[in-house]
Amino acid sequence: MISKLNRMRIMAITANHIFLRSIFAASLFILIFISGITYRNTVSLTESMEWVVQSYKFQTEVEQLFSLLKDAENEQRGFLIAGDSAFLENYLESRKSVVKSFAKLDSSLTGNPQQQNNLKFLNQLIDLRLQQYDLSLKYSSDLFLNQEELTANMKKGSEITNLIDIQIDKIIDLEKSNLKERQEKYEFKSFFVPWFTLFIMLFSLSVFVLAYVKINSDLEEQKRSNKKLLISTESMKHAEAIGEFFISQWDLKSNRFIFSDNLYRLLGCEPQSFEATAENFLKFVHPDDKYIVTNGSDSTRQSGLVFPRTYRIIRKDGELRYFKSMGKIITDSRGNLTHVSVAKDITQYQLNNIALEKRNQELLQSISELESFNHVASHDLQEPLRKIQTFISRISEKDNLIMDEKSKEYFARIQASVNRMRTLIDDLLLYSRTTKTDKSFERTDLNMLLENTIQELSQQIEEKNAVIHSENLPFLKVIPFQIQQLFYNLISNSLKYSKEGVAPVINVNCRKLEPRENPEILSETGRNYYKISVSDNGMGFEQDYAKKVFELFNRLHPKGDYPGTGIGLSICKKIAENHSGVILAESTPNEGATFSVFLPA
Amino acid sequence: MKFYIKYDFNAACKKILEEQLDKAGVSYTLLGSREVEIKQSISTKKMNLLCVGLGNYGIEIIESQKNILVQKIKDTIVEMVYLDETQSPLRASDYLSEKLQYSYGYLSNLFSEVTFTSIENFIILQKIERAKQLITTTEFSVSEIAWELNYSSVAHFCTQFKGVTGLTPTVFQRIIKKRRKLLNEETDNEMIVDTKNNKIKDS
Amino acid sequence: MENGPIHILLADDDEDDRLFFKDVFDELKINTVVNMVNDGEELMEYLSRNDNTLPHILFLDLNMPFKSGLECLIEIKKMNHLKDLAIAIYSTSASEKEIEETFVNGANIYIKKPSDFGTLKKILSEVITINWQYQTSGLNRDNFLMSI
Repeated sequence: MISKLNRMRIMAITANHIFLRSIFAASLFILIFISGITYRNTVSLTESMEWVVQSYKFQTEVEQLFSLLKDAENEQRGFLIAGDSAFLENYLESRKSVVKSFAKLDSSLTGNPQQQNNLKFLNQLIDLRLQQYDLSLKYSSDLFLNQEELTANMKKGSEITNLIDIQIDKIIDLEKSNLKERQEKYEFKSFFVPWFTLFIMLFSLSVFVLAYVKINSDLEEQKRSNKKLLISTESMKHAEAIGEFFISQWDLKSNRFIFSDNLYRLLGCEPQSFEATAENFLKFVHPDDKYIVTNGSDSTRQSGLVFPRTYRIIRKDGELRYFKSMGKIITDSRGNLTHVSVAKDITQYQLNNIALEKRNQELLQSISELESFNHVASHDLQEPLRKIQTFISRISEKDNLIMDEKSKEYFARIQASVNRMRTLIDDLLLYSRTTKTDKSFERTDLNMLLENTIQELSQQIEEKNAVIHSENLPFLKVIPFQIQQLFYNLISNSLKYSKEGVAPVINVNCRKLEPRENPEILSETGRNYYKISVSDNGMGFEQDYAKKVFELFNRLHPKGDYPGTGIGLSICKKIAENHSGVILAESTPNEGATFSVFLPA
Repeated sequence: MKFYIKYDFNAACKKILEEQLDKAGVSYTLLGSREVEIKQSISTKKMNLLCVGLGNYGIEIIESQKNILVQKIKDTIVEMVYLDETQSPLRASDYLSEKLQYSYGYLSNLFSEVTFTSIENFIILQKIERAKQLITTTEFSVSEIAWELNYSSVAHFCTQFKGVTGLTPTVFQRIIKKRRKLLNEETDNEMIVDTKNNKIKDS
Repeated sequence: MENGPIHILLADDDEDDRLFFKDVFDELKINTVVNMVNDGEELMEYLSRNDNTLPHILFLDLNMPFKSGLECLIEIKKMNHLKDLAIAIYSTSASEKEIEETFVNGANIYIKKPSDFGTLKKILSEVITINWQYQTSGLNRDNFLMSI
């Protein structure tokens, strides 16, 4: 029973174990996954941010370039118009700035190939313009003022500037659209990522919470189980102490023993005061009984069966005790065999038993002595009595004529007394036969016994014209001759104590009783009884005497009135008792009597 | 193997009688089962031889007239007792005096004089004897036997049975059964012991 | 009545009972020859001697020294030449069981020793008469059982 529970617990725990591990692994994985994703998102966000900034920077730069270009142009125009060398210096300044600016542009390329192409083209245009600027300057120099060339150049220059303008617009547009694109992406990401992160977070949070709850409940359960186990173990320890028994476990594989504390106590030692081994235990076993213990262990090891064994122990303090041990081989979930045995100190019980045995023997001997005494006494007393009777009868017969009246009377009285004594001894002998311990119970047909009785009494029945009715009697386990004697006594009584001038009518009835109908004396046993009643229409007796009639030698009539010694009903009572039953009497004066015998079914 | 034997006494005795008479060289006629008429006078010596011969079989020659009559009375009584209950006479006295052609009073006195018991007693004895035979040879119940023997009640039969034997019919039955069982066991043992004499072993 | 005397043998260890027995037959008008033995061994010896006329009827006490009546009974029943011997157990009170046992073992009659001389006379006379009847009237010896 215990091992099964343990096995279940072990299974539960390992299940939890697996669950725990999987949860942990899952959580770890999720964490790493989340971290990875989050990192990536963050990085891409940053990237996007950077790109946007870059884009704006680019645009600004491009526009700067254009304005610089325009400045340069303006300065050139100014110079051309005003011929002021300040303009020229500014123009040269601006021209340098343009180149610088463009160089910057180049370095802050966003990697867009289209844009790169645009820039390349722009570069070409700018170069061309700059060329034009230079040409314009050249043409505008004092040396030879080629107005047409100059105008054409100037026209071309402004065309190129337009182209540049267009190109720059193109670049800026493209950049703007890219930017827009990127921005949209960025916006999406910046929207999506936090939510995603939040969701993942919530999910992992819920997983953690679940895991926590589960672990917690498992822990609680384990706590509870532990508590129960603890209580159980404690109770066991107490039980051991109270019940004066101990438990020992023997792991058959490793040949290791575990002795409970009470084992040591019962041996008169301190708990766990010596190592738990078979040898150490055997030291305490009575030398004559050592073989019982070792044989038992060996046979257990081989056959797996354990039989109860009783052996003697000599405690540390030298006291002799009797132990009785029983055990069982238990297999645990891993297939290991453990021999668990329980041994009890049955010293008191054993001593009681021995004392009881002795007493029994004494009693039996006593009984048998009494019986033989009874028998011998009765039998041997009868012999001299009989002789006395016979001799007296001989004398009174032979010398009848020469004896005087007084002597005759005396002899008659001697005879009467001796006869009485004889009858009494006869009855005593009969009574003692009823109490013999040699009781052989047989399943007998009570009808047959009744039949025999009626035959035995046939003469009296005939003489009195008696009628006997009887119901069907059952088969019961009885001592046949005793029950026949019982019937004989009852019916003989009914015949004897019939009413004057009234033919006796005797009814023998039988009924099986419900347990609740049992008479008080028998009510505790709860067995089923048969009630056999013998009732007659004789002279009856006072109900007050109902118990007295069963007393030994008790008679309700003066000595001489009716034959008999009054032992008949006592014998009936003894017989009923022999059969674990009772006999009860009911009667009303002048209205007959009923004797009910209760016999167990 | 066990056999149960039934005797026809009359036939057996008749045969013996004839054999013995022939052996003695006497010419005779048998008158019924109990009377023999010898046609010639017979010497005392022959008579003695005959007596001895018959005596071996338990057969007696009754000579005195009185004895003969008494024997006849006995035989008649036996006959009467063993009659079927339908044929049983109502009164034994009538039956006897009719059969033997003497007054019952005379028969009664003679019987008592010779045997020292009364006819009534003898009748009872024979009835009980038959009852015993029925008990030992049949499985009849006590009441069936009482009826067969014309008793007015089972109680009456039991009383008489007990009066004669001192035992009730049931007890008698029981004893006979036990006796048989005991004898069977003994003969079984004997038979087993006799294997050396090549007798059949009865297991 | 029987032509010759009826041979009676009594086996009883009790002196007084032997006395009573003898007195009864002295007073009875039956033609009898009464012999007595004192115990079981003497009885068997007597019965085994071939020179003695075998008794017609044996009265056997149960409680005897050296060999009990029951033992003698069983032995006698095994002896061929004693087959026709009528055996009457003559004993003090005994239980129904004991009485039955003697019958089962072959006794023909069981007599409970009475305590009145007159009764004893009557019983013995009856026994002798009945026994004679059995021996002469062709009654079945096997069924000869009587308990007094």
